[in-house]
Amino acid sequence: MTGRFSNPQAVPSDSAPLYEQVRHQIQMLVLGRPLSDMTPLPPESQLIESLGVSRGTLRRAIEDLVREGLLRTVQGSGTFVNPDERVRRVVWNRLREVARPDSRFDMNLQKFVPDFADRHLADATVQSLDAWINADVVFIAPDNSTEALRLHALADGKAVLVPTYGLTRGFVLLKGNLIKAVDRGLAATLDGMERFGKRLGPADLAEAGHVDVIVTGATAVTMNGQHIGGGQRYLALEINLMRDLDVVNDLVPVIAVVHDCQVIAETVQAKPECAVEIIVTPTRIIRCGTKTNIRKLTVKSNG
Amino acid sequence: MADISEEYREIIWEELLKVGRPDSRFHWDFSSFIADFEGSDQCVSRIVNLDSFTSRGAGRIFITPDNCLFSLRAYLLENDIPFVMTTYGIVRGFYEIDPRKVPASDRRFAATLDGFDMYATPVNIEQLAAGEKFAVAVTGGSAVSRNGVRFGKGHGYFDFEYALLTELDLISPDTVVVDVVHDCQYVDKELPAKEHDVVVDWVITPTRSISIENVDRSQTRIFWDRIPGTEFEGLGVTKELAKFLDSTKNSGLRSNKQKQQSRGKI
Repeated sequence: MTGRFSNPQAVPSDSAPLYEQVRHQIQMLVLGRPLSDMTPLPPESQLIESLGVSRGTLRRAIEDLVREGLLRTVQGSGTFVNPDERVRRVVWNRLREVARPDSRFDMNLQKFVPDFADRHLADATVQSLDAWINADVVFIAPDNSTEALRLHALADGKAVLVPTYGLTRGFVLLKGNLIKAVDRGLAATLDGMERFGKRLGPADLAEAGHVDVIVTGATAVTMNGQHIGGGQRYLALEINLMRDLDVVNDLVPVIAVVHDCQVIAETVQAKPECAVEIIVTPTRIIRCGTKTNIRKLTVKSNG
Repeated sequence: MADISEEYREIIWEELLKVGRPDSRFHWDFSSFIADFEGSDQCVSRIVNLDSFTSRGAGRIFITPDNCLFSLRAYLLENDIPFVMTTYGIVRGFYEIDPRKVPASDRRFAATLDGFDMYATPVNIEQLAAGEKFAVAVTGGSAVSRNGVRFGKGHGYFDFEYALLTELDLISPDTVVVDVVHDCQYVDKELPAKEHDVVVDWVITPTRSISIENVDRSQTRIFWDRIPGTEFEGLGVTKELAKFLDSTKNSGLRSNKQKQQSRGKI
């Protein structure tokens, strides 16, 4: 269901229970701090006094934020902010201004990586990069912001490897030279790709050959190349699967296509899904310094 | 006792796992979408050859955003036939699409939910009400009975959409309601219709066109008292509709017949 849970930052109504109002106040406090600030929340007694609420209400509010992943409590040392989740929430807030709704999830940004205003300007930049031009096989994440690049790749006759949403049905391999011009637009969508591509599970993923470049959207990306996804860590899982099957090597370039508001200048102690080599936005291109080394920088996902 | 529709949904969803197609986002979660199925393209010619379709004149076509209607949408777009569709969950209301504004290369793209609103334009309640009546409404479903009682995915979106169009006086006695399902979704039994159920005139499957007789939709309306607490409460169209009906009632713009109907049914 969409609606009240689609935006964790929605202001609770006046008739909402007190703990929801307190949850909102604490969230605002946390999101208002610099993204690099890792100091714990003030002690419980101090919050009780400053917010003017009971211990029970405060605990209920904090428990909710812990369950949502924004906070974590460490026995004996206090309540801390989860830096990845804080980045996500700050960026989702900004993205609401420029994002395009999803065909199913509307503006529930926890569920998908949205397309955004002026994205075509970023696409043009990606298409001018050697890493893109020289690639025969491209991995393109199933993000709405990368749909048009899937179309361009197919038009260029490239092979495109796309995971299904949530990896529920493995990967789909689309071969640009086998898809008719009239079908390309359809084949580039999540709705249409399975009509044209071959579905590949872990057993036959090697059929994709060797991926020359990874193109992905992101919830956020830091200037030094940390890819922060939606929280389910699908990209990390996909890259690990491909690496285990030798579909990608450790030096494959990763290009992240994002809106300028998704680029984080601060140093964040995040748990990135992978390292990004080049960030492309509608207005600029950021080379993140070090060469991608997936082995070093990809955090192994659980399970 | 369990809801009879729940019982049928479960049995049919089991069958649908064999012939259905998963959704791009919801995978096999049939409670979140109406599935496409093997042979759905064969339903298209059956629909567009119905007398009520070919003789629709200026009457508009309403289509629900169900996956099994992709081929129908593609046909309409490729043949320059405009239609009106809601967005998923009616969250962004109604849209209309003029195929002549869609490049030939993108018509099949525009037939998907992912591509539709790249070319379709939103129509608010006032604009919707100002247009022609609907000659045809096409929807999918989870199951449909011999007497035309259909079950959706369990939210009641289509019943709500049809009731909304009825409140706007956009439905005539000639409007025909078509339900597109796989053969395994047809229940050859008489099932009781609930008050809010929109009973259909035609059941179209890949192999059959079944005409339902003695369909009565004269009592269709929005049940305002049942909206609070449901997902319809927060929808933009719900608020817009309430406002619109209020203003037209006061200004006397609505037909007398309609006013009588509204008054008579509380």
